[in-house]
Amino acid sequence: MPTTKDSVTVLDPIGLHARPAGQIVKLVKESGLEVRMGKSGQELAKANSPLRMMALKAKTGEELEVEVDCDDEAVATALIAQIQEFLKG
Amino acid sequence: MLDSGTILTGMGVGLSSVAAEVFRVKPAASLPGPAKHSGDEALETENLKTAIATVSAEMNALAEKAGETSAEIFEALIMLLEDEELFETASSQINEGWNAGTAFINAVEEYAELFAGDETFEERLNDIRDLARRVAASIAGISLGLDIPTTGRFVIVGDDFSPADTAQFTKAVVGVVTIQGGPTSHTAIICRSKSIPAVVCCQQAKDIVDGMQILVDPVGDRVVIDGKESDITEAISFIAKSHDPIIPVRANIGSLEDAIAASASAADGVGLFRTELLYLSATTQPTKQAQAENYAEILKAAPAGPIVVRTIDAGSDKPVPFLDMGHEENPALGVRGYRLIEKHRDFIVDQLESLEIAREQSGREVWVMAPMIATYSEAIEFAMLARKVGKFKVGIMVETPSIVYQINELAGALDFISVGTNDLSQYLFAADRMNPALGAMLNPWQPALLRALEQIAAVSQTAGISSGVCGESASDPAFAVVLAGMGFHSVSSSRSQVGVVRQALSSVTMEQAKEVFEAALTGIDADHAKSAALAALVAISAK
Repeated sequence: MPTTKDSVTVLDPIGLHARPAGQIVKLVKESGLEVRMGKSGQELAKANSPLRMMALKAKTGEELEVEVDCDDEAVATALIAQIQEFLKG
Repeated sequence: MLDSGTILTGMGVGLSSVAAEVFRVKPAASLPGPAKHSGDEALETENLKTAIATVSAEMNALAEKAGETSAEIFEALIMLLEDEELFETASSQINEGWNAGTAFINAVEEYAELFAGDETFEERLNDIRDLARRVAASIAGISLGLDIPTTGRFVIVGDDFSPADTAQFTKAVVGVVTIQGGPTSHTAIICRSKSIPAVVCCQQAKDIVDGMQILVDPVGDRVVIDGKESDITEAISFIAKSHDPIIPVRANIGSLEDAIAASASAADGVGLFRTELLYLSATTQPTKQAQAENYAEILKAAPAGPIVVRTIDAGSDKPVPFLDMGHEENPALGVRGYRLIEKHRDFIVDQLESLEIAREQSGREVWVMAPMIATYSEAIEFAMLARKVGKFKVGIMVETPSIVYQINELAGALDFISVGTNDLSQYLFAADRMNPALGAMLNPWQPALLRALEQIAAVSQTAGISSGVCGESASDPAFAVVLAGMGFHSVSSSRSQVGVVRQALSSVTMEQAKEVFEAALTGIDADHAKSAALAALVAISAK
């Protein structure tokens, strides 16, 4: 399955906290796709656990890599755009 | 045993007060300690799944009861509770032999370690730990319900309350007192949103028992045993009666951002420019040119008026990477502030020379002062050094008790002094600022500190030295009035407080400020001093 990669920026003033982490995981679960997120240069984590997402300790202004395994690139791109939305706080 | 009339100090939440009977929440039945299971991993895993589902359903029910403010909090909590990775981690704990309840608590603790030290997550961590306790309790068949009465009027007193606890608050809850937790705890947030009068972080509340009558008085930051309506501290609204405050209100800054923000406030210059920030992250000593550029930029951006610059205030607990500080047993009593001159004279001279270049470039009025001056000789040495380097007004910080007794001898040598009340308290009371257990001694309303400040203001006046206060206490509007009443010539507040401090100092005359100070002096302890001063302020504002 091809992988779509892009980066998102944490804009929420309190960083990647419980609420956006929960929203992202909920979205990923509903999509049924495998999505990985993390800081660039580090091993990405599966975005199926809010605790794991919070453990990235991403602060306001930090960039995160997102990878989505999906045959339809348009779906993957839309999903990443939605994740960016959640990170706006 | 708490006698009638006893005052317990905490932090108030809200502006209204309430007097009612106490309902003391019992410490929850203790959970069974960590234990291994008998060998049936599948059964334990199943037990854990059931317990998570049960607690999740409880949370859902509580979310409905709690209403809108908390619904989002519960939704987030439920997601964390049902976290797949958390379950995986707990499962591997079961495989290691731990029973379901222990395994889940251990799994949460594994994540807790990841979050430790991160302020954003620490409060959330308490919520997650509370969930883990609930899961373990469900497995052990223990009820964690609070059993709060549904009728009558009660002040609920307990350690601290989690979201699941506050959701059980009934209509009978008219006030809340917690022993722990701070102004940003979940309890405080909920009480604020529901307008329930509360006092949090009230350690002596541990001795409050069922059936007592107490007054919850958030404005006075206190709880009064058997308190009546007449004991309620009135919220003071400072109404400016003149355009200008009775003494100038300056701002505390530490960076260019601060300087820009402060100039948007009504601050009359800068009363404390902390220079450490410019050095604490540098690995090598910045060149004089780089320092001068930095300073010039900040001086230009600072609010109109004089700018009081404090030379570097570093020590082994606040080390500057490029200065060799070594290790000390007691950093607060060690080689810090101006004492660095012994080993690092060049650096301090460099700093003053850079400031002089910046002063010329910016055309601003710059005052310089040295921190941690303890003797006459140190003060004179610094004054001579600073005057040789530049056209500054020269002064010292007064934060050690020893220098208080030599201010009169510094007449003619110094232009000004500035009191750092936080450190002065620490050294006056021999109470470590970093130790939260000693907070009560560091309360600026302590009568001994008030008298020390009074003495400093008086002796500076006699010596013809301008005096100011730049410690934390000068950010408290009521305390700022007391400082003006003592005879200080200026105060410097954190920039978010400049507006309210200015307003307080514009709402009284100098005569009235003196009355407020005299009233504060009648208190035999910090609480009485503060309430006497507040009462005097209320009487003035009623005129």
